[in-house]
Amino acid sequence: MVNDVITAREIDVSVRLGKLELAYPTLMGSGCYGSGEEYAPFVDLSKIGAVVLKSVTRQPRLGNPTPRLVHTPSGMLNAIGLQNPGIEWYLEHDVAKFAQRPCTIIGSVAGFSVDDYAYTCEKLAARNEIKAIELNISCPNVASEGETFACDPNLTANVVRAARATTDKTLIVKLSPNVTDIASIAREAERAGADALAVINTVRGMAIDVDMWRPRLGNVTGGLSGPAIRPIAVLAVYEVARAVKIPIVGQGGIETAGDALEFFLAGASAISIGTANFTDPRVPLRIVDELRAYLAKRGLRSLQQIVGKANVGFANPHQYEGDEG
Amino acid sequence: MPIVSPLATIHNAIVTDRRVLAPGVVLLGFDAPDLVAVTRPGSFVMVVPPSGESAATALGVYEADGRRASILFFVVGKRTEELSRISEGEKIGVVGPLGNGFTIGSERDVAIVAGGVGIASVLLPAQAYVRTGARVRLYYGARTTELLVERERFAHEGCEVLVATDDGSLGHAGYVTSLLAQTDRRPDVILACGPTPMLRAVASVASDMHVPAQLSLEETFACGVGGCWGCVVPIVNTSAQAPSFPPAERNGSDVVYARVCKEGSVFWAHELRW
Ligand SMILES: Cc1cc2nc3c(=O)[nH]c(=O)nc-3n(C[C@H](O)[C@H](O)[C@H](O)COP(=O)(O)O)c2cc1C
Ligand code: FES
Repeated sequence: MVNDVITAREIDVSVRLGKLELAYPTLMGSGCYGSGEEYAPFVDLSKIGAVVLKSVTRQPRLGNPTPRLVHTPSGMLNAIGLQNPGIEWYLEHDVAKFAQRPCTIIGSVAGFSVDDYAYTCEKLAARNEIKAIELNISCPNVASEGETFACDPNLTANVVRAARATTDKTLIVKLSPNVTDIASIAREAERAGADALAVINTVRGMAIDVDMWRPRLGNVTGGLSGPAIRPIAVLAVYEVARAVKIPIVGQGGIETAGDALEFFLAGASAISIGTANFTDPRVPLRIVDELRAYLAKRGLRSLQQIVGKANVGFANPHQYEGDEG
Repeated sequence: MPIVSPLATIHNAIVTDRRVLAPGVVLLGFDAPDLVAVTRPGSFVMVVPPSGESAATALGVYEADGRRASILFFVVGKRTEELSRISEGEKIGVVGPLGNGFTIGSERDVAIVAGGVGIASVLLPAQAYVRTGARVRLYYGARTTELLVERERFAHEGCEVLVATDDGSLGHAGYVTSLLAQTDRRPDVILACGPTPMLRAVASVASDMHVPAQLSLEETFACGVGGCWGCVVPIVNTSAQAPSFPPAERNGSDVVYARVCKEGSVFWAHELRW
């Protein structure tokens, strides 16, 4: 009997995204975790799966006017506006430092044209420090073109195909929840060569100052993150998992192992944690410990055994799936 | 100002004392010798909410002595309300110390300006300057007398204390910055912490007086550690002031957004472009 007892430490929580193997299923959300260095004093980075860097663009960007943040019930709105030094400066001054991080570093690329994405992706993916690329085609906080890519199946396909042609490294495509049919976008991204999908980016929202009679954010609108969007994200993962075969990195309001399990059971192979780090930087390590305990209790040896196990379809398929309804 | 805090970490601290200083004003002391050892005047911490249900709260380190550090805050919303319910013996997660802090120089005459809860970030610099032998005068403003918490403490620490109240119930009736503007004594440096309108007024008074001013800014934070670029303020673009950002000629702008939590929270008034 003793042999049948699985200790939590023996449990395999690793995940594979395309060619990329990660020892832990926890990615730190783009734009929430700097380049990892900012959190190094507080977190043992060797125990997280990967840091997804803040999105970088072809040209430098000042970012949006202030204020950029508003705390809202069970979450927050942000409108950073992709502040970054531009790819050339980034390659010259920042990327070399990433080699010293004790965890995998995934680059994030944003752009305003198919050409932008291909250009920036090629340059960044060529660097050894960068192990995979996430295409942020879903930033809600830049002049409308930014998010348009993730809102149109053809544009999504064009961007992914162009980026795919520049690198063999794992390509993760980050999808927007601000669409009518996320499954059709996911299918196009897969067909165009994506190795994995990040689901979801933030949900568009706004808050108004009733004393000043003005929107609270400098950018007027922002992206909502945190527990407030979790049910939206779980459904998106559930729908996308039915539409594609490539792995999904589920995200949106994950704070506990219980939250993470919802995503795995809906069909995500890995998870990403953003806003919860702002509450407590210990969250990512705690989630992995608790996931292991959960699996050990059920006699399971690998996290991947539970992926999609709650994905039982829809009560009324025509309401959700495909174009037939 | 140097960017420090490689020694910052997460402290799992036991609350040693809790005092209500005035209605809605709470002081929490906690045992955190490692934090005290590396805290600088003007450092702040992010306090993890016990419920885990909201973002951590950025608060100035009020006292730091021996094993004990403390925070002093006004209950203004859900998050500070939750912190105000913490009692002695409970544990809190404290991330820090964070931010660059005030520069303590060799000035002989120092004016410290505090508005409301801004008082929480100026005890340590006041003590540091008093230790150098400087004359330190505190200009302290609040809505009403009972909210001028800890004013005796500053006098006890060797500061001269001048107060202002919005309702005129004590000291100068009106803004603390008009008290500063009327001063008979031109300081060598001004340090200030308080609401943004007060800091703007301090900057303008300081500029009229031709006195350099260090301002500890208040912004909405998410991460508090430099990871999200949410807390920014526009400053003049020199590469020294804005690391990891292209200098003006590459960026096409003489202004860049610097992170209040990382490049700040203390900025020289003359570098701000707000
Ligand atoms: C302050 C902030 C900045 C963000 N910046 C980016 C970004 O630059 N690129 C990107 O792809 N996603 C960005 N995101 C989205 C997150 O990576 C994540 O997908 C989203 O917040 C949902 O997860 P969460 O609820 O765990 O934060 C940002 C989110 C926040 C809160
Ligand atoms: S609050 Fe995140 S960078 Fe300052």
